[in-house]
Amino acid sequence: MKYYIKLALILFIFCAVASGILAYVNTLTASVIAERKAQEEISTREELIPGAVFTEAKTADGTSYFVANNPETKEVLGYSFISEEIGYSSTLRTMVGVDKDFNVLAIRVIDQAETPGLGANCVLESFTHQFTGMNKDNLKVDKDGGAVKSLSGATITSRAIANSIRNSILAVQSELATGVSQ
Amino acid sequence: MSFIKELSKGIIKDNPIFVLVLGMCPTLAVTTSVVNALGMGLAATFVLICSNIIISLIKNITPSKIRIPVYIVVIAAFVSIVDMVMSAYLPALHKSLGLFIPLIVVNCIILGRAEAFASKNNVFLSIADAIGMGLGFTLSLSVVATIREILGAGTWLGMRVVASNYDPMLIAILAPGAFITLGFLMALMNMLKEKK
Repeated sequence: MKYYIKLALILFIFCAVASGILAYVNTLTASVIAERKAQEEISTREELIPGAVFTEAKTADGTSYFVANNPETKEVLGYSFISEEIGYSSTLRTMVGVDKDFNVLAIRVIDQAETPGLGANCVLESFTHQFTGMNKDNLKVDKDGGAVKSLSGATITSRAIANSIRNSILAVQSELATGVSQ
Repeated sequence: MSFIKELSKGIIKDNPIFVLVLGMCPTLAVTTSVVNALGMGLAATFVLICSNIIISLIKNITPSKIRIPVYIVVIAAFVSIVDMVMSAYLPALHKSLGLFIPLIVVNCIILGRAEAFASKNNVFLSIADAIGMGLGFTLSLSVVATIREILGAGTWLGMRVVASNYDPMLIAILAPGAFITLGFLMALMNMLKEKK
């Protein structure tokens, strides 16, 4: 009996030491990681709508989007937001830049863990560049009657991305239409 | 002498994938392209070397009855640390290897070598074993990935190697393609072994 308590105690010490080290490393790295992620988002946003000044705004349900203004004339150039949708094996996060009439300027898939060789190819330029110029009416995969050429026959990843962008566009558009957010 | 022996055995004689049949999970999952295979192989080699060192160092204070949970704690903690440190300070490397780091925790080669080798041998030999096993793992992954990438996408390391009008055999980069390729390669290894 005593022996088993001793074993449990030793295992407990191992776990405690390991958790302690992990917690310590986490406090060291968490802020660095968060800052790097934020930096990355800012630079991606600038790549999507070059030469604009961004101001953050929030929709009624709390998701934030960014209004891109021309730095000199203050004229609205477009909007940028992050669309999220569950794909095949991960949550797909896509950063989207649209012009003031909500035509897609460019997209960038910033977070995904889809099937390597299939869905994971959604990060490639060859997939993302086709979104340029699309709007809420044709932002659907070809199987659903839209203009997005899907990555594979199952179209799960492609559909998730196309639908998430369309939903975000509709959400931001209706938000602006009501004129609540300024 | 024995350093070289422990190092070289992982490559052919005790090849982790084709002979020991360890680490099938990542093998099947990441061999869709050669780039992925190299990334996984090198990341796993790095973790394997470090975990073998630690396991070998603590082998005398670990009661044998609870050694497996202790090893798992050590490996999991270690992998998490690598993941966090890499993400914070080596973002470029983390971007290309980041996907594989969590997968390494479930790679039984790491636990298998801890149990079969590092817990019984000194640090020096454990390092040799880890390097050899890691190289063998990387090499085998690359072989499987080469076949699958050429058949399934018509490319190698992202470069086009077959005529552009080649219609890729999509099955090769899907899960069944992994099993089929692996099966043929194992059969080939066994055939070569029996001939000797």
